[in-house]
Amino acid sequence: MRIVCFARVASLALMPALAGMAFGADAVSKNDGLTLPEGFSAVVVQEGQGAGRHLTVAANGDIYLASGNGLSALRDTNGDGKADVVTPFGDVKGTEVRIFKNWLYVSDDVGVYRYPLKKGELVPSGTRETVVSGFPVERQHADKTFALDTKGTLYVNVGAPSNSCQQKDRQEGSLGQNPCPILEKYGGVWVFDGTKLNQTPANGRRFATGIRNAVAIEWNTSQNALFAVIHGRDSLDTLFPALYTAEDNATRQAEEFHQIVDGGNYGWPYSFFDNKLGKRVVTPEYGGDTKKEPEPGKYATPLVAFPAHWAPNDLLFYSGKNFPAKYQDGAFIAFHGSWNRAPEPQAGYKVVFQPMKDGKPNGAYEVFADGFAGEMKDNSPRNAQYRPVGLSVGPDGSLYVSDSQKGRVWRISYGKK
Amino acid sequence: MMPGVGRIRAILWGLSLTTAALANAQVPAPDSRPPGQRLYGAHCLSCHQADGGGVPNMQPAIAGGTWVQGDGRALALFVMTGGFDSGSRKDSTVGNVMPPFRQLADADLAEILTYIRQKFGGGASPVTAAEVAEARRSLPASP
Repeated sequence: MRIVCFARVASLALMPALAGMAFGADAVSKNDGLTLPEGFSAVVVQEGQGAGRHLTVAANGDIYLASGNGLSALRDTNGDGKADVVTPFGDVKGTEVRIFKNWLYVSDDVGVYRYPLKKGELVPSGTRETVVSGFPVERQHADKTFALDTKGTLYVNVGAPSNSCQQKDRQEGSLGQNPCPILEKYGGVWVFDGTKLNQTPANGRRFATGIRNAVAIEWNTSQNALFAVIHGRDSLDTLFPALYTAEDNATRQAEEFHQIVDGGNYGWPYSFFDNKLGKRVVTPEYGGDTKKEPEPGKYATPLVAFPAHWAPNDLLFYSGKNFPAKYQDGAFIAFHGSWNRAPEPQAGYKVVFQPMKDGKPNGAYEVFADGFAGEMKDNSPRNAQYRPVGLSVGPDGSLYVSDSQKGRVWRISYGKK
Repeated sequence: MMPGVGRIRAILWGLSLTTAALANAQVPAPDSRPPGQRLYGAHCLSCHQADGGGVPNMQPAIAGGTWVQGDGRALALFVMTGGFDSGSRKDSTVGNVMPPFRQLADADLAEILTYIRQKFGGGASPVTAAEVAEARRSLPASP
């Protein structure tokens, strides 16, 4: 009897705690643990295609995801947001995937290809065609991400296989090659006719230069202009310890958001935009002393200077019908998250919204989706739970986000349960 | 010559000012980490990370690997040679190449190598400055 009484008392005493735990568990599982602005919700579309990269959503809602393991096609057959059919296809292991007219354009490190998309067909049955191939095999900054304008002009990001064009890459004190020979074939955007087949890099034209690596590259149809967010340089402190501290390296070199114009020069490897000074400075490899500025007007000033090492991996201008008016024509950026901030705490690992008006920033950027990384044991990117890497908008206006740790895909919507 | 009272006062006043300045300037506490850990933090950690796990697709893990568990002099030679010239590049699946660290002194390299062997190499034997010096003698001349 006493035992029963004790149990009753104990259960009464525990009730609020249990209720709290239940609430806590609900709060964690809500939106798959992501934090979103009021009124938005997230559902997990799928997980498990490995190291996910970019994704694109067709007009019928079918999703195409690029990954290190290859391409996959996803279809939600009952409208609950979750993919019921997931089919790997093709032989292209890479980052980019986009739809232009009735074609699915994809890329790997050495080329851009396309598949015909036939009505009703989830997995393309047609033969893969080569649009451009023959980019040199590189291990660093090798993803050939691209954008297509409304006429089919193809803008390919050809990242520089180097941190800062040193004579010896990433070696302490090594000075820059001057002029930097890498810029002849890399470190810029090359333009091709995206409707022609079997081109080589020699058929392209260098559209813009001084771009270290613009994984996040996007055509803005409302502005009829190309934009990119560029990965800034690494290792200021370990390469030039007399000039920069670990804290400087973790904070100063901006991830630069630019409109990319024909003939534009965005400053790599001769300069970087210094977040602390709020201006462009000469890199230490090219005679910089932490304050020295390049010749005025030589290199473009970023539209927005984002924090160092956040790793912008996709850019999207929102034109869907689901989100509130303030999001129209604004820019979403997927930040993959840092490694080179160590030993400082890692940062990034989130989707940011930059309000835009007429192609120019319209107010400060805000964090849109966060909570991807989890607790990230030992401050190591390897231990991040998820890392956002790709963005696309579905036919209903929902924003789709892909992850590179497990290949998870989320659908983020406004006003849906 | 004995210092005069005035001079002693001046010295004491100067000392008190210095003490106050030190207190106000919030001078960072001295780094209490063992030298090997501190030097690993300065030269290696941003690429190989605090846990030695590296960064996927960027820099390899060293924790549990053959280099940190193997011969100490071979490890010293590899770290001073770097990825460009060591031949490791052809087998690598990661993006970035390790630069040579021959600019570090024998004693500092010995501290780093001992630290990573102890922490990431299952307690492999320490590396001495003399062993680093011996490995250094077999390096090709600096390019």
